[in-house]
Parts: sequence; C-alpha cells; structure tokens
Amino acid sequence: MQDHIRNFCIIAHIDHGKSTLADRLLQLTGTIPPDASVEQVLDDMDLERERGVTIKASAVRMEYTAKDGQTYILNLIDTPGHVDFGYEVSRALAACEGALLVVDASQGIEAQTIAHLYAALEADLEIIPVVNKIDLPSARTEEVAQEVADLLGVDPDEVLRISAKEGINVEQVLEAIVERVPPPSGDPDAPLRALIFDSHYDPYKGVIAYVRVVDGSIRHRDTLKLMAGGAEFDVVELGVFTPGMKPAQELRTGEVGYVATGLKSVHQCRVGDTLTHKHQPASEPLPGYRHPKPMVFASIYPVDPEDYEDLRDALGKLQLNDAALTFEPEHSQALGAGFRCGFLGMFHMEIVQERLEREYDLDILVTAPSVEYQVVLKDGTVKRVRTPAELPPRDRIAEIREPWVAVQIYTPLEYYGAVMDLVTKRRGVLKDQEHPAPDRVVLHFEMPLAELIVDFFDQLKSRTRGYASLDYQPIGYRPGDLVKLDVLVNKEPVDALAMIVARENAYRVGQKLVSKLKDLIPRQLFTVPIQAAADGKIIARANVKALRKDVLAKCYGGDVTRKKKLLERQKRGKKRLKMVGKVEIPQEAFWAVLRVGESDED
Amino acid sequence: MGAHQPSSLGLYVHIPFCRVRCSYCDFNTYAGLEDLMPAYVDALTREMAWYGVHPWVQAAVVDTVYFGGGTPSLLPLPLWERLFDALHRHFRLAPEVEITVEANPETLTPDLLRGLRGLGVNRLSMGMQAVHPQDLRLLGRSHDFPTVIRAVALARRAGFDNLNLDLIFGLPGQPLVRWQEALAWALRLAPEHLSCYALTLEHGTPLQVWVRRGRVPPVDDDLAADMYLWALEALEQAGYRHYEISNWARGGHACRHNLKYWRYEPYLGLGAGAHGFWRIPGQGVRLANVLAPRVYIARLGRQRPPAGEVQELGSPAVVSRQYLTPDDMALELALMGLRLTREGLPDGRFREVVGRSLADFFADALPELRDLGLVDWDGRHLRLTRRGLLLANRVWVRLMEGR
Repeated sequence: MQDHIRNFCIIAHIDHGKSTLADRLLQLTGTIPPDASVEQVLDDMDLERERGVTIKASAVRMEYTAKDGQTYILNLIDTPGHVDFGYEVSRALAACEGALLVVDASQGIEAQTIAHLYAALEADLEIIPVVNKIDLPSARTEEVAQEVADLLGVDPDEVLRISAKEGINVEQVLEAIVERVPPPSGDPDAPLRALIFDSHYDPYKGVIAYVRVVDGSIRHRDTLKLMAGGAEFDVVELGVFTPGMKPAQELRTGEVGYVATGLKSVHQCRVGDTLTHKHQPASEPLPGYRHPKPMVFASIYPVDPEDYEDLRDALGKLQLNDAALTFEPEHSQALGAGFRCGFLGMFHMEIVQERLEREYDLDILVTAPSVEYQVVLKDGTVKRVRTPAELPPRDRIAEIREPWVAVQIYTPLEYYGAVMDLVTKRRGVLKDQEHPAPDRVVLHFEMPLAELIVDFFDQLKSRTRGYASLDYQPIGYRPGDLVKLDVLVNKEPVDALAMIVARENAYRVGQKLVSKLKDLIPRQLFTVPIQAAADGKIIARANVKALRKDVLAKCYGGDVTRKKKLLERQKRGKKRLKMVGKVEIPQEAFWAVLRVGESDED
Repeated sequence: MGAHQPSSLGLYVHIPFCRVRCSYCDFNTYAGLEDLMPAYVDALTREMAWYGVHPWVQAAVVDTVYFGGGTPSLLPLPLWERLFDALHRHFRLAPEVEITVEANPETLTPDLLRGLRGLGVNRLSMGMQAVHPQDLRLLGRSHDFPTVIRAVALARRAGFDNLNLDLIFGLPGQPLVRWQEALAWALRLAPEHLSCYALTLEHGTPLQVWVRRGRVPPVDDDLAADMYLWALEALEQAGYRHYEISNWARGGHACRHNLKYWRYEPYLGLGAGAHGFWRIPGQGVRLANVLAPRVYIARLGRQRPPAGEVQELGSPAVVSRQYLTPDDMALELALMGLRLTREGLPDGRFREVVGRSLADFFADALPELRDLGLVDWDGRHLRLTRRGLLLANRVWVRLMEGR
C-alpha cells in the first residue's frame, strides 16, 4: 500500500495555471465530476478565490489507475502562493516527495517560482517540470521549456508541455507523478510522527489539523500529543480530503489526511509541529518546526470608538484560523483605543484588513505599517519597539537595530536599471545576480524590511510594467542609523504620525510629510503650524492658514429649521474628525505617512 | 389656548412665483406657474381667515407685514387689492405698521408702484444683486443696472421713502474691485437700507453644478472675507449702521419685520412653504406650510374656518408643527440673536425664554469662544466680534456641541 502512495504539490507563480491544472487532475481521476467548475476547487475560502491566490495549503486525495494497470493514491498538497507565507510553503513541501513545477508558456519563469523551486530542492523533492498554456497564441513553449530545463539541469525532453485549460497532455502529468515521484519512505512500525502542514478551526470539532503521517499510524480515538506545543487530545475524527472531509478509521504511514483535535485554537496546534502518541511517543520530532513570527506591525482603530469591542471580537475570531496574527490593546492619544497587530507581511495585513471590513462589516483605520526594532539601551538592555511611540528618549539609546531581508527580484533584463534604482533608494544592497535565461536576471539584494513594506511591491510593478516578481526571507537584525521623526501639530507631537526613518532620509521624508499634512488638515480657527522634528531639531515646517469665513448668508422668510439643519450637518461632519489637542485632524491625515512612500520616487 | 399673549405679531406672506429662476436660488419658487396667481391669492385670503378667527390673533396687533418671494412684484395690482382687502378684514394692523414688498427691478411700473404705495406698502426691497453685466448674467438675473436706476427713481417718485437694495458678493470670478464698484454704485442710489449677502452655493442649484463641473471657477472664501470687510468699512463711512451680519440701515430704517426673527419674536407664516413661530408657556411652536403652490391652493379650497371655538392656531396648509423645548429655543435664540451685531443676544431675553442664564447654559463654550476672539461677553450681552462675524457658523456649531 505504502508503495502506491504519491504525495506531491504544485509550484507555480500566481496565474500560471496551478488551480486549473489541479482541477483537471481531479476531473481525470474522477475525484470531482468532469464538468465541475474550473474554478479553484481547492480554495475553500471566499477571499482566496477573489484574490486569485491561495492563502492556506490544503490537500486532496485522488485514486488513479495508471497505464501499468495498478491503482495509486495521489495526494495533492496545495502551497500558499504568496511571499508572506514562505514558512507555510516550506511545511507543505516537507509533506511531499515530489513537486510539479508549472511555468506559463508565455510568461516564463518568475522570482516566486524560483524561490519555491529552491525550497523544493532543499526539501529533496523530485521535480517534474511542466510548461502550461501551450495553446496560447503568445506561447513560447520551446523557449520556456529550454529555460526550465537549464534551470533544473535536465534534458528539455523531460519537460512536459500541456494546456490544463484545454486538457492537452494532462494525462502525461498523472503518469509522470506515478513514475517519477518516489513513494513515501516512513517506517510503519516506528512510533507515530505526523507533520502538521496546515489547519483550520471548526466550531464543532475544534482545530482540524492537516497531517502527513511520516512514521507509524493514527487510529480513531487515539490519544495524541503535540511535540512542540505540548497539547494532548483524543482524536475526535480522522479522515481524508476528497476534496471534502471524508472520515476514515486509520491514517497509515505515508498517507495525507486530517485529524479533528477538539482543540480550541490554532495557536495550540501550529503548522510544522509533530503529532505523536501520548503513551508511545516518538523520541525526536520532525525537523523544521518554527514558531511563526509577525514581521510587520500596524495599529487598527475603529473609526467609531463604539466599535472597539466588536473589533476585538472580530480579531479574536480571525485569530482562531490564523496562527500568525497577533494583536494587543493599544491606546493612541490621537486615535483612542485600538490594537497593535502583527502580521507575516503586507499581504497578510491586507487580507486581515479586508476580512475585518467585509466579513465583520467594521469601519477601521489602519495606520502605516512598521517593523519591530531592537533598541539597545546604554545600560545594555534590549527593548523591542513595534511603534515609534515606544522608542525611548534619544539619550538612553546606544543602538537601534532593524530587521533585514534577503530579496530576490526576477525581471526581464531591460528593467535592470529601473529595479536597481528603486532598490538603491530603499537602502538595498546588491549581493549577487544570476541569468537563468539570456534576457532574464535574478537580482539578490539585502535590504531593511522597513523599506520593503511601504509601497515597494507597487513601485516595483509599476517600474517594470508588472514583469518583475519578488520574494524575500528574513535574515536577522542589523544596526541602522535610524532616527525618530516626530510630527508636531500646533506644537504638540502626535504619536500616531511619528515614524522611524533612516537618518539619511529624515529631511526628505519630513518635508514630504509636512506638505501632505498641510493639504489634508482643514483650516482651523487659528493658524496651525505643522512641523517635523528629528533628534529634537525641527527639519520641516508649514502652516495651515487660519480659516477666515464660515457664515450663512441669509435667513429666508423666518425659516430657522433650514439653517439649523445645515449647522447640524456641519456638527456631524466635525465629529468624524479626530481632535488632537485643539486641532481637528481628518482620518486621511493619518494615512499621509503611507503616501510619503508613494511619492518618494519623484 | 394658553399661549403667551403677544401684543404684536409679524406676518410673512410668501409669493412663490418667478418669471425665471435665478441660478443660485434653491428657494421655494417656481417659474411658469403665473396662471395660478389668482387662485393662489384666493387661497392666501382664505388662510388669513383661518388665523384671523383666532382670539389669540385678534388680541394682537400686526405691526409688520412682509411679502417675500419668489417675486411678489409679479402680482398684478388687482390681486394686491384683494390681498390687502383680506389683510384688513382678518387682522388688526397697527397704525405704524411696516409693510414690505420684495421686487425685481424689471417688474416695477409707475402704476404698480403707485398702487402699492396707495394700499399702504411703505417699504420696498429690491433685488439688485450686482452691477457688472457678467455678474448679473452668472446669477441668471433678467435685469441690467440701468433698470435698477430707473426702478429706484420710479419708486421714489411713487413716494417710497424706505428702500432696500439686495447685493450679493463673492461670486465666482468676481474680483474685489468689481464688488467695490457695485457697492459704490448702490450707494449712489442712496437706499435707506442695504443687504449684502455672501453667495452660498446651494446644493442642486445650476450655479453649484457649474462650479462642481468646473465650468465656473470656485468661490474664493478668503476673497469673500476681504469683500465683506470692505463693505463694513465703506458702508460705515457712508453713514449706514451695521445692525445685522448682512444688513445695514441709515436713519433708523432697520427692517422691523426681520428684527422679529432675530429677536425671536412671534410671527405667522402665510403661503406655500411659509413658516410661523410663537411661544406658549415652556415651549416654542414652529409651523411649516406645504411647499407646492398647487397643493397649498387645494388644501385651502376644501374647508372653511370653523365658526365656533378654535382648537389650535394654524391652517389646513400646515404640514409640520414642531414643539421646541427650552434647550431647542436656547440654540435658536443664539442662532438668531448673535446675528444682531450691535444689540447682540441680551442675557435678560435669554433667561426669559430659556429659564437659565447664558453663562450657565453655555458654561463650557463661552470662555472658549471668547479666548478664540470670536465673541464678546460683558455679562449682559453676547455679541460676535468682528472676526466672529465671518466665522459665525463655527460659533454656532461650538454652542451646539455638548447640548
């Protein structure tokens, strides 16, 4: 039986046809009806479908009778399709023995594909190269096949040429999986070790862990234990995905399926952890477990303070399904009560924001994202700083360290200059470059994460007309020449507008921020000076001129009600402004910090 | 009934007809309904009867009457005669009653003017608005400045010795000097009274749409402020007393009817969309009539006023009857009273209406507004400062906050 299992995943850039291919495989094996929609069957969250990418890995079991007449169990494990989820991708890969590397016949290889390919090679997976969309008029099938072959160091003949959409040569893919992907190699008699590569929360069955059984087996009603997390539970239900959840009695060595744990939070059952038997535990967990760490921080405030409790509930509910999301209460002098939230990256942050707005119908204000700084004080202690407001006074700081990332940018050669220019402006350092194809280049940079999270993707896309793609991995903290940029409105510092910036950029950022704020803050009854200060020195200043005229002309025929209504409306409008000291600041001003990034390429 | 029995009442009569609607007007006015004028005047006389039968009205004298529009001067003399006949039949007019008629200069003929004067009209308010042809065209006015000169001369010849001219400043594309010239020309016509209004772009008016679509430049509020300050200076020098935010008078010719609004005194509203206001113990009452002239006519055509005991003051044209609490009245009183630049809002009057002192009622706002230099408060009168005049909305919004 173990000989007849093949566990594989699909590595592809967004839009290169991963979902379409998956659907075809499911249709050909009779797992879903042949006329089942070519929509993304694997994606079971609304949001994923709309974004056209996969947020969470999931798994489907297929049965396939190959040309050799034997029936195989094929488990397709899906991998998240975005740079923020690198760790989740690595766990999904660890659950497989093989990977389909799918490349679009007209687009060619992208940075993300390469990053995932490297990860798959590191996980020692058998790679099956596939060129997809060969039916398109713009297909450069042979060229791309050669590119892929060069990248992998294989013969171009080994590259499959298919069109998942038109169903061309898809059968070859199934045969290649059976022939080339090795069967799982675990020991059925050893103590249980099962890798958790994904999970979701079910209100009735608790956390559903998606597992790959590496050694031993799991039976219904077994008492299991999480080797890193420590939680213990009785198996409420177990089974396989077909693609819905189908209960089974046992999950044996090499199999992929789910275990209903009854646990109340995905935080107790994290991706990468190892399941074993409580009474007959394995001696060593599976390698590679990592606690997911938020990289990007931003504060979320309810627009209406009355929604604070609802916001807390909503974040709590999201967290049930999202082990990487963190939040803690925060109070801002300008914005009131809210939460400081941690995310894996910008994309993760956008997803959370969108879900809060759409699924929970909340009006929220999200502040400009920031990273977590390590501040070494003169007494030698290290303080973690997630918001500029937490930065200790200057004279107590010995050093500020900021997180750096390794960035890979894959781009057509013609945009080399444009990309270099952008990266250099963002304090990036070029480390290395590769030419996987004559007119393509992979640039390896290191740069501060803080530079990446403000508008970098959009800038990269616009400078390369969408052709460049990007991946990144954290590489630790480095000391930086950083300075807190304070913004003073009417001589009072406004915490929610403060930023931590590179000293070399402080003057430029300060100027831009002040001039944006000047346009965004409405005229008040008095002149409002807006200043940016760094290191206690004012580096930029502008005035919002005092309002001179705001008066109703006439009172027609004794109709006071009309006039009163106008003033009531004016009063309501005023309520939507935040009072900071004596100055009314509209919500948009708090976004100005973000817009400074947008325009810094002038 | 139990209403505070006032000794005197104002009467506002709305005449909603216009030949053409002006581009800035969002008022209850209609062009092309002139055929309705006789029926409308009939309805007005019937509405007068509804009020006139009321003992509370009978016990008071009417000392101001104001025919506003629309363009009241579009009504032909015979219709005016019917209106005045009913007016005298249903109300006790004070011997010194002020009777104002609003007029567009191009509608005034010697006959009409003499006729109105003969009926007892003693104040004429003329919509001059601007002088420069470009400004007049933008506002959608049908007259030119020579017409205003002729109309003023005709009015004087007909015996009108209390004349108001309405002017608008802060027009899109109007430079300061053009406003200065308009004001100078108006002064040469030596009116007893001048109203100078800053243009307000009312929602849904053609002018507002033009500005929104960029066909007409936006209004520059800072420039409008300069124009206003110029008017303050120039009119003061010419001997006019500034007595209300937008109103100036010389020789004691302040508009007594409009003063009733600002002093929160009672008035009845007759005609389509007209409002009335008076007080009863512990409360204020505000009535609003139905807006559409046809509906107004229909509502008054059905029933006669009851002969016996009258239940409530009003007419079948009333569509809303609002009862105002002392808190409501406090804000309205501030809204109206602060417009009076010289007399301001007297604390005594405030206590009488609201039952509390100004300092007590607006305990938080008053010191703040004074610190901002927007109001003067000497413990007895609350007034807007010169700066506060231009920022009156801010003052009112601050007063409304926390209420």
